[in-house]
Amino acid sequence: MAEDLVLDTAIRDWVLIPLSVVMVLIGVLRYFVSKLMRSVSQLPDPKVVKEGQVIVRARNLRSAGNFIPARAFRSRRTYFCNEENGLLHVPKGQAQNPQAQMFSDPNMAMDMMKKNLSMIIPQTLTFAWVNFFFSGFVAAKIPFPLTQRFRSMLQNGIDLSTVDVSYVSSRSWYFLNLFGLRGLFSLILGEENAMDDTQRMMQMQMGGFGADPTKNLSAEKDGLDIIQHEWVLPKFEQRAEAVLRKLVS
Amino acid sequence: MAARDDSVSSGKKSGDAFDDLPMFNAENLQSNLRIINYSRTFMSIIGGVVAGILGFTGLMGFVFYFLIMAITSLGLLAKAKFSVHTYFDSKNRMLLDGFLGGLMSFVLFWTFAYDIIHIF
Repeated sequence: MAEDLVLDTAIRDWVLIPLSVVMVLIGVLRYFVSKLMRSVSQLPDPKVVKEGQVIVRARNLRSAGNFIPARAFRSRRTYFCNEENGLLHVPKGQAQNPQAQMFSDPNMAMDMMKKNLSMIIPQTLTFAWVNFFFSGFVAAKIPFPLTQRFRSMLQNGIDLSTVDVSYVSSRSWYFLNLFGLRGLFSLILGEENAMDDTQRMMQMQMGGFGADPTKNLSAEKDGLDIIQHEWVLPKFEQRAEAVLRKLVS
Repeated sequence: MAARDDSVSSGKKSGDAFDDLPMFNAENLQSNLRIINYSRTFMSIIGGVVAGILGFTGLMGFVFYFLIMAITSLGLLAKAKFSVHTYFDSKNRMLLDGFLGGLMSFVLFWTFAYDIIHIF
């Protein structure tokens, strides 16, 4: 396209590298701060734990049900899915409204707020910092051409329409960092950090507040109800025979 | 990466062509997938830095990314001794997982290295 711009090396030394390093360090800092702020050692509600264990057991039955005889499977299924007192059966009207549950448990709201704050505050601060010190000039150049559409995305803060689109302003370099460093964080901080801000935001919008445990129960019950039982052990004789024959021959 | 991949072997499934019972341990499958994601992220970051240092621009860089991912897939396949179904429930899991996730990291590190070395 147009002739290349010549960028000052001072921009590299004082903007590009510091910005990236600061982003990484802030990510690490945020990880440890959120780890510290996580409310420690609050005893989980026994009812919730019990329901979770029931679900795990039902899931085990569903995945390994083919290894037990049909009668055993049926009796177990009755134990779980019985309409009167089965473990997975949720009586109508008892299902708790998650909204109400949240209000009854202030810890939950508190946790959510902490998580939100630990996410929003550093981001706002870094953005303000970048905006204040590094606005208004080209800081980097991405090594591939882009169409004019990306101008508003990549040259945020530069009001020139003649500059090649692949030149990136510092503010946009900040955004690039924000999204691209996710992989690095998951490498250096472990997997639990991998669920990054954007995903978390999305989840919060979709899922609302917390999943409804009773919904899990009834979903598991439906899954168990429709499963077809087929005992595989009779076939195992043939399989054992095949294996033994292979050994002998 | 090699050291990390060792735990792939912990994923276990007993089963052969004789009967196609799905006998996966969900936790092991999860751990295998996590390891694949790790390797892919790692390779995309390293690949990005290499592409930047070599000064690739335009389409060349993306071709390089595909090459890197292909090499990673091949390495993972070799690590699994070419029997994908021992460790994963489908082939695509192994070949395509984390493909797009690594792209962003790749672009970032590519740009970073390229800028530092070539444009100033």
